[in-house]
Amino acid sequence: MFSFELLLDAVVLGVMLGCFYAAVSIGLSVSFGLLDVPHVAHPAFLVLGAYGAYALNQAGWDPIVAGIVLTPLFYVLGVVAYRVYFETFEKRGSDAGVRGLAFFFGVTFIVEVGIIMVFGVDQRTVQAGYIGKAIDIGDVRIPMRMIAAFGGALALTLALTAYFSLTFSGRAIRAVAQDEIALRLMGANPLKVKQLAFGIATAVVAVAGALLIIVGPVEPTTHRVYIGRTFCVVVLAGLGSMHGTLVAGIVLGVVESIVLTLYGASWAPAISFAMLLVVLAIRPQGMFGR
Amino acid sequence: MALRLTVADLDAGYGAVRALQGVSMTVEDGETVVLLGTNGNGKSTLMKCLMGLVRPTKGMIGLELDGVRHDLADLPTDEIVGLGVALVPEGRRLFPKLTVEENLTLGAFRKAARAKLAEGLAFAYEAFPVLLERRKQLAGTMSGGQQQMLAIARALMSSPRLLLVDEPSVGLSPLLVSQTITKIGELKQRFGLTVLMAEQNFHQAVRIADRGYIIVHGEIAFEGRTVEELRSNDLIKKLYLGGAA
Repeated sequence: MFSFELLLDAVVLGVMLGCFYAAVSIGLSVSFGLLDVPHVAHPAFLVLGAYGAYALNQAGWDPIVAGIVLTPLFYVLGVVAYRVYFETFEKRGSDAGVRGLAFFFGVTFIVEVGIIMVFGVDQRTVQAGYIGKAIDIGDVRIPMRMIAAFGGALALTLALTAYFSLTFSGRAIRAVAQDEIALRLMGANPLKVKQLAFGIATAVVAVAGALLIIVGPVEPTTHRVYIGRTFCVVVLAGLGSMHGTLVAGIVLGVVESIVLTLYGASWAPAISFAMLLVVLAIRPQGMFGR
Repeated sequence: MALRLTVADLDAGYGAVRALQGVSMTVEDGETVVLLGTNGNGKSTLMKCLMGLVRPTKGMIGLELDGVRHDLADLPTDEIVGLGVALVPEGRRLFPKLTVEENLTLGAFRKAARAKLAEGLAFAYEAFPVLLERRKQLAGTMSGGQQQMLAIARALMSSPRLLLVDEPSVGLSPLLVSQTITKIGELKQRFGLTVLMAEQNFHQAVRIADRGYIIVHGEIAFEGRTVEELRSNDLIKKLYLGGAA
């Protein structure tokens, strides 16, 4: 069954979904893209952010406000996680990448089990005035929750792009993985710079996690579907490119949405992994990679 | 405005390898001092010790600034940069995936230099017009000569008082080496800098030097109090001019 309306619907929703994918990936664009840290616990932190928004929503907070309020806490979480990774792995040598992978894999399960112990295994959702409503633009019906995700993604991308191009610390974060010794010669302390970057990458996840639970119900294992998506977006973008992350998110969103419309929902989780492999094979530097 | 760098009886090494042994030297305010020696004799190690990138195992590095004494051997690199010491490192060490302008801007990272960022950029572009033309280009895509210019301009962005230059001639054609050395001389005059330059190209280095040291196997083999003393030294003849020692 194919029709133009159906395709248009799929593309519009795909763009919305894609912006949401960009929002949940942008923290990883910093931690993995700019710092080369194999942060596979990123999706688990995302789910943790979603549960944080859920807990505050139970107390009557708007989920987006909850996400913003949680950013300082997540900043500290990021700084601590990076510091442990640095002291136990990175400082000791060149195979930090592989052993770090094991470290963050472990962190993923600790977070997952922690969430199960506190919140149980059931799906959770949040309440807000705009969730469940939709607006019609022409023939296309757009759910308000997707518009919230869309706006959140744009705001995060703009804020991070401005931070990385206009501030001294932002520029230092972009430089730190390129040449640490050169950065020291500029008068910066690379460890502090990376700690700051990882803190920011994790703080952003608090907001993205709130968007995650606004877009749909979340359970403790939700992070498993997002590992493929977030890494696909970050690699497709070109490691460390913020506006690239937005574009790559939209590409993934549109492709997923079209495949979902034409072939059914069961294919959706395979798409991100397939795209990841294709990108690594034909253009490993990504769309906006330098 | 007084500056004096004093290195006394310095030992440094990498594991069991001794790279420097009992090195003593001084650099006085406003001088251009050249550290001569062929590859692998410890010039770069000494530069790294001065910047806190390599810790000496023995000896002292004193930097006297306006009557205050700082022991560089105990300070982390960022604090040494904060005192107004900048290094143009061997191999340039630019940030290849950042633009020319972003590289320059990072040069002004230290607190005292940030406020003067716009002024510093204007100076850099005036001194090196090629950098203005290429300000949006990625540093890693420029030619070796242009990269060397950028590395020098980036070091100057921190408004240093003591400029250390490690092997500016490496990887450059003879014409570019000559231009680079001339530029360092000009900038030194203009900014009232004190310069310590490690170099293996004797003929080029002595064009702008006031005096110099010859370093062989990690030890100071000769101190030339003037350029003439350096020129007429037997070691120089042996190392650079092909004469018998």
